[in-house]
Formats: sequence, structure tokens, C-alpha cells
Amino acid sequence: MAEANNTTVTLQVHRFTPRAERAERAERARGGSPFARKSSPFGGGSDSAARRRPRGKQWVQEYTIPARPEDTVLDCLLAIKRTMDPTLAFRYSCGHGMCGSDAVSINGTPTLLCTASIRDWAKQPGTLPQVDDEGFRHIGDETADDATDIEAGDSANDGSLGVIELAPLPGFPPQRDLIADIDPMLNQIRKLTPYLEADGVLATTSEGKVDVFEYLQHPDQLAKYEMLSNCIACGVCEGSCPVFAGGDAFIGPAALIWSSRFINDSRDNKAMDRMDDIDTADGVAACQSVRACSRHCPRGIDVGEEMWQIVAKVRER
Amino acid sequence: MSPKRLEDMYDAVIVGAGAAGLSAALGLLRSPEIEDLKAQGVDPKILVVSKLQPLRSHTGSAEGGIAASLGNVESDDWHWHYYDTIKGGDWLVDQDAARLLAEYAPETVINLERQGVAFSRTEDGHIAQRRFGGHTRDFGGEPVKRAAYAADRIGHQILHTLWQQCVAQGVEFAEEWYVTDLVLTEDGSQAAGIVALDTHAGKVQAIHARNVLIATGGAGRLFHTTSNSWDLTGDGMALALAAGLQLEDIEFVQFHPTGLAHTGILLSEAARAEGGVLRNADGEAFMERYAPEHKDLAARDVVSRSIMAEIDAGRGVADPKDPDGPKDCVWLDMTGIAPEHMAEALPQVVETIEQYANLDPAKDWVPIKPTAHYTMGGIPITTDGEVYRWNEPDNNNLANAHPEWLIDGVLPPSKAIGDRTVVNGLFAAGECSCVSVHGANRLGGNSLLDACLFGTRAGRTMAARITENPVDSPMGDDSADETLIEAVDQTKARRETELADLLAGNAGSDGDSDADALPADGNPYELMARLGSLMDRALAVRCNAESITTASEHLNTFRPAAEALRAHSNTAAFNQEITAIWEVRHLIELAGAVLAASGAREESRGAMYRTDHPERDDERFLAHSMIRLLSPEEQDRLRTAIAETSESEPEPSLTHHISWQPVHIADYPPKKREY
Repeated sequence: MAEANNTTVTLQVHRFTPRAERAERAERARGGSPFARKSSPFGGGSDSAARRRPRGKQWVQEYTIPARPEDTVLDCLLAIKRTMDPTLAFRYSCGHGMCGSDAVSINGTPTLLCTASIRDWAKQPGTLPQVDDEGFRHIGDETADDATDIEAGDSANDGSLGVIELAPLPGFPPQRDLIADIDPMLNQIRKLTPYLEADGVLATTSEGKVDVFEYLQHPDQLAKYEMLSNCIACGVCEGSCPVFAGGDAFIGPAALIWSSRFINDSRDNKAMDRMDDIDTADGVAACQSVRACSRHCPRGIDVGEEMWQIVAKVRER
Repeated sequence: MSPKRLEDMYDAVIVGAGAAGLSAALGLLRSPEIEDLKAQGVDPKILVVSKLQPLRSHTGSAEGGIAASLGNVESDDWHWHYYDTIKGGDWLVDQDAARLLAEYAPETVINLERQGVAFSRTEDGHIAQRRFGGHTRDFGGEPVKRAAYAADRIGHQILHTLWQQCVAQGVEFAEEWYVTDLVLTEDGSQAAGIVALDTHAGKVQAIHARNVLIATGGAGRLFHTTSNSWDLTGDGMALALAAGLQLEDIEFVQFHPTGLAHTGILLSEAARAEGGVLRNADGEAFMERYAPEHKDLAARDVVSRSIMAEIDAGRGVADPKDPDGPKDCVWLDMTGIAPEHMAEALPQVVETIEQYANLDPAKDWVPIKPTAHYTMGGIPITTDGEVYRWNEPDNNNLANAHPEWLIDGVLPPSKAIGDRTVVNGLFAAGECSCVSVHGANRLGGNSLLDACLFGTRAGRTMAARITENPVDSPMGDDSADETLIEAVDQTKARRETELADLLAGNAGSDGDSDADALPADGNPYELMARLGSLMDRALAVRCNAESITTASEHLNTFRPAAEALRAHSNTAAFNQEITAIWEVRHLIELAGAVLAASGAREESRGAMYRTDHPERDDERFLAHSMIRLLSPEEQDRLRTAIAETSESEPEPSLTHHISWQPVHIADYPPKKREY
């Protein structure tokens, strides 16, 4: 970030501090082996993390800081930690869209902090879509991508590039500030045997020679699942999905993408079992083809289209 | 995910869930010993503790490839890989370890594939391979296609695959737990466990374990311009220092030549492997002058130094995003790569350039600058992953016996002798460790290999130790456990007190303080940024006695600032500032060791270039530095000794002790390193 610039941005951050006893409750609520077979393979029940309501203090805090249009929202939040408020909590790690830590709601749209630029997301005040407690924008609002022209805003607002509203990823229980509990998603992924099932034989070396070689896979076979294997499990698609936001009714797009990744891998020999596992009311049947999941996938996966493909595949088998 | 409840004693605790930690967990669980144990109905109690959710580990950012002489594209031989690794490391490589690395690389890569990694493929369905800097045929001849790759996302593929296999094995994780202490028994001979902060609950936890493996990754955040994620704060190395252990060759930090201008974000070496060319302000492809044979694909340290030489000669360019800023970049010209091929082979590189530089690499030259990338040194381990102490005998006896060895009246590091004492039950793997396969400079494609291969080996060694006396065995002997538990619990109590102190410190009314006011007291994030700038100035790509001394003195002012840090919120749950305070303290201790070790090595070798000692000096410095912190008692003794002699010249370090370990030379005696 350049310190010597004269434009600013205002971040409106939905903050949340959990009550002290919440930690204890959360600890008790955790657990339950994801491998244990229950009547429904997708779990559920009253202890489901998705149903835990946050308890604690909630407020909206505004920060105005120097920023350039090409800075990312993550750059701005890190500058806030360094220069204004070290208590602001948000996940981040690699800073360039590979680790999947920093999915949040920006102007009501789930996306990554580190790939979102001020240029693309800052809006002049008064044009922000209203987001309700569940993280939904109400019908009739313009979409976040239609940010007003920041050049025009410059002269009128003393160098302000505009306002960006930040909230935790919708569909997941907030834990603190922008940190949400994404364990429900990871647990759903875990439930669908998310690992290659083949002969299981591993190579050993003797006198500089290996005793088995790699599985052969032609480039066109790789192409059938390569894109799917790029999923970083950030949760953006899940936060965008109106069905997933309903809780355990839907195992969610991420778990289905992972399942599809193995179904389409020529090396895997459990495709039929995998399709049985997702041919359920809370599996592929729950997808309503809204396709909101495709819009901001940081890995460029057309999640909605892939959902469509896997639904078709399950039906045809 | 966190354990419902902690076991009273674990067979093994693995700290870190990147390629090394996960490989260790899998190596352990798949070993015949553990399989036998399970068949007898005894379940090993294993816990993987990591400060991130495992899928967030920095392994996932590795782009280019993993090296192995598979010979899928052109003929290759593991002996060539073995030689290249030694030469790449400027002969500061333990050859027994490098031999294992090269010989077992094909097995490692094939097994990654057989576990699910979506490698790119040749037309006939084999794992595809590409060229990578420093990898050659015929012992230093023509470049060879040795790096197995998955487009430019090999790290993501490996990390996800290893995590998936851990899910299959039912590995238990404690995620987003930050390890604050590595605890040894009082005499330092045996691992006792760890103390960690469960950041969700905001609670300090004691984890007792008969075996501990540290796999926390590197320390790129020592520097401001780095390709490393925000979490690579050298925690494992700092934990080892704090536990009184040594670090080996910690002065060697690799600067990757092609960081994206001022962001530090990595543009994979694959960009040059696929035809990208470095150009200076005049548009000249300058690598032809520095490395006539390998040009842009010479070893990373060679390329980084060449870039700095161009910048120093006034032929650098400014980052176009900051056109009036310093001319401290050069161009990466990828316009010669066919656009379709670029999209297919380098999607991540293209995306990074578009996203963070707003440039089109098919048309525009891209500004790049060297970025701190990899720590070659770390916690010393044997080739079985065991952490050891290097003990040196009294060098005066040696000097008296061999007066002919003395240089300027001093016994040179290259003549030092000693032996290794393993710390029972303590292991390390991956970037935080030093088995010394990378020596003074790591070759591209060798880090994932090191992490997976030596991680697996360490896991197997742990398995053998576990079966000697498993926690869960009814016939087991738990008589020694009490000592371990006591040691860990004492440390935990101290950390709990400290946590309460940090939380109580300067906390205002829970975060909703006046947002416009800058806190008058310290801020760990700000301190971390200042430390990065200090280290950039002192050590980035090159250094000398003056830059090292200046930085060391400056660093001394950081210590009290770090000690004075307190959290600004008194809510313990998800209090990231608490972790940041401990991280910056870790970084400062590690920075001190890196500076001290850099000062002691009066030569230039591999990634370390000293402008005041520009040549490699095998006669004096063909040796591994082994640095540790002096205990307060040792410091007192030293002060007394100095006061008594009063003319000790040069004045010894009052904070660190450095000894030297000979390099294991087996097959390839040192030669001049040219590309």
C-alpha cells in the first residue's frame, strides 16, 4: 500500500464479539465424529453448528483509511490492523487467492478479501444494497458489481473512493467480527469420502528402482475433473447459495463439487457408490439451480453448471 | 475442528499441517509397525495441531513442480538429480541426505499420484515433467525436464491430496491452535509435549506427548518483501531456540527472483521454464551475460543476484503502479510464449499478473523483484527426522594438536569436529527443519520433495518409537509419563498467567474504541512491518558486516517494544492480536539468530552474498553453522570472563553461541559452481 496518496476508502465492518461463555458452549457443541454413521449421512439434529445463534455484542464500525483504487480490501483491513485497530478480526493467509481463508460478504456478495479491489467494490454512499441479518440482499436491489463510477465520485467526495460494507460469510455462524465457523462445510465434505479410492498400492524403492508406476491417465481424462480439483474450499459458493443458507437441508455445492471431482476421475473406482451417496433429498435433489454459486468462485469453477452436470449424471446412471 | 477432549498422553503430536506434517501423519499411520499395533487392538493416539485449518497451509501456494528423475519426457537418472542438488546448494549439502532425496524422489512423486494428485499428463498418460532451474543431465550439462507438475498448482494439489488421505485415515486435528511452547524434560534429553492456545476458546492447553514433530514451515515474514503467507512467522524455529536447541545454517534465505514487483507475490519459475525472459531497463536479456549457458534458468540465487546487479547499475525499472517510486524492479517478458500455451501451462501466473498488476502478460512486460522465499536452514535433523544437538569438544585441544590447521591463529569452522546427540522423541520435517539437502541454496522442485519425503521418513521413525511403548497398550510402561506431564503443565501455567496479563494489559472497552484514534501504545502488526523493513535492508539478497551490525543493534530496540505489547481487547476467543504478539516475539528472536549466523559466516555461498567477502571460502567455511541462544547463566559467566580478560578480541556474542559441523561429503567433492 502506498502511504503517500490522497484518496481514501471507508469500510463499514459488521463486528461481533462473542460472549465469554460462548467459547465453552461451542466447545461442548463441537465434536461428534464426522465418520460415525448416522441415520442421515448428512447429520443434522439440534446441535448442528449451523443452527447455533451467535450471542454477544454486535455493532457496525466505520473505518476511513488512505487507499488506492488498485488496493485489495485485504490490504485495507491489514492497514487498519497496523494503524488503527488491532482488535479487528478476520481470517487471511496467503493474500493471493490460493489458501481460501478470507471469504466474507462484501457489499452483500460472498467473495475473497484478497482478490477484491477497491476499484471494483467501493460505492458512493447511499447506493449500498441493504443486507439483512441472514446476509441476504432484498429483491430489487442492484447488484454489487454495478459500483458507481469512482472517477466521478472523486471530485465530489474529497478523494473518497467510496464505501465498502463487510460482513462475515453468510450461511455460517459468525464467531468474531468477519470470522465465521466454516466447519459445517468441511464436515459435509468429509462425509462424502473425499479421497481417491483405487487399489491403494503404494510404490517402494529398491536399488534405485520403484516397483510400481503411476496410474495412467490421458490428458482428456484429466480434463474431465481438473477444474473441479482446483476447489480451495473457501465457502464462497456456499455463502451464495440460498438453499445452503437454510442449514442441513442441503449438503451444499462445495461437498458436491468434491464428490464430482472423484466421480469424474478415471482413477477412482467408487463412482457408483459416490453417486448413490449424493442421490438423496439433501444431496443433488436439494439443488434448485439458482446458480448464484457460480458468480464469484475464486478458482473460476462454474459451480452451477457443474451442479447441473452432476445432477444429470446421477439421474442417468 | 478441535478434539472433543484432549488425551492425558499422546503417542505423538504433530505441529503443522502442511506437506511435511501431513506426510508425517500418513507415514506414521501407514507404517507396518502401526498396522500391526492396530491389528492387536491398540490405537495410536495421534493429534495434528495447526495454527491454520490444514487446507490453508502455505504448501498450497507452491506453483511450479516437484522434482524426480522419472524420465517420463526425456531420459533422466537420479544420480544427476543428486549431483544437481549438491551443486545447487553450493556444496553445503549433506550428501547422504541429498542421495536419499534423489533416490527416493520417484517413489515419492508416484505415491503422491497414487493418492490422488491431479498431475498434468503426457500424451501417453504419464506424469508430465518440465524444466526447472538448476536441474540438468550428465552432471551439470543440458537442462532436463525433471519437475513433475500440475499446471502451476502443484502445491494445492499435494496439500489437498494429503489432507484427503488424512481424512481417510481418521486423523484427528486441533485446528487454529497456536503452539506457544515446545516442552522438553528438565535435562533437555526428551520431548515432553507442547503448550498451545486454542484460539477459538481463547484457552491455553497442555498437550502431553511421548513424541513431538515440528513441521511449522518457513519464516518468510522475517522480511517485508516475501512470497510467504502471513502465517510463516518461523514459529517452529523460534520454539526450538526457546527450548535451548540449535538451528542449522539459518543464515541462508533464498530470494526467489520473480516476485511480482512490490507485492512480493510469487510468479512461478515455470514462467521462465516456459520461455519467459528477464530484461533490464534497456530491454536487454541480461541473464545471457551472467549465466551464458543456463541464462534465465540458472539457480535462483544466481538470478536474484544478477537482477540486483542490474538494479545497482542503474538499469532497473520502477513498478508501473508506482511510476515515481524507486527503480528497484526489472522486467519479465513473457510475450514470446504462445498465448494458448500460456493459458494452459501457467494459468496461476497469468491470473496473478492480471489481478495484482493489471497487466496482460501476453502483451505487457511484467515488473518483478526478488522476494524472500525459502529458509534453507532450520532445526537440525538426522535423515530419519530426529532432532539432535551438535556437541563440540574443546576446540583448544584440537587447535593445539593441529597447529597447521589454524588460519590467523584461529581454528577455522571447516576443521571443527563434534558429535550428534538425538533429543529422544523430538522430530522435525519440512522447511522448518534442516536435514541439509538444500545447503546454501535450494533448487526449485526440491522443497515439496523434501517435505513429503523426509516428512514420511520422520513419521515412520516415530512409528517405530511408538510401538516400543504405546500409550494405549495394557502392557505399557507409563512410569516416565509423570515427568513429562509435570514439565508441560508447569509451562502451561506460566503461559496462562501471561495470557491473562496480555488480555488485561491495555484493554479498553472491548474493541469499540474510537476508530479514528491510533493506539498510543504498541501494535504487533506495526512492529512486524518494521521488522520486515529492517531485515530487507540488512539481508535481502546481499549483506555485509556493516548492514548486519546495524540491523542487530536496531533489533535490540525491538525487544523491549515486543515485551511491552498488550492486547487491545480483553475477549480471549478469536483474539488474533494475542497470536500476533507471540508471532512477532518469535520473529524477533529468530531475526537475532539469522543476523548472528550471517555475521559469523565470512564468505559468500549460495543464497548468501556478502559484499565484504564476495568469494566462497571452503578452507574456512565449508561447515554448517549451529546457533543457539545462550542461557542467562551462560551470559553471566561470559560477562564475567570478558571483564577478567578485558582484551578479548573480537568481543564474543553475549546472546548466541555458534559452533560448526562438518559437511557430509560422500561422492562429489566441492567444485566451483557455474551455470
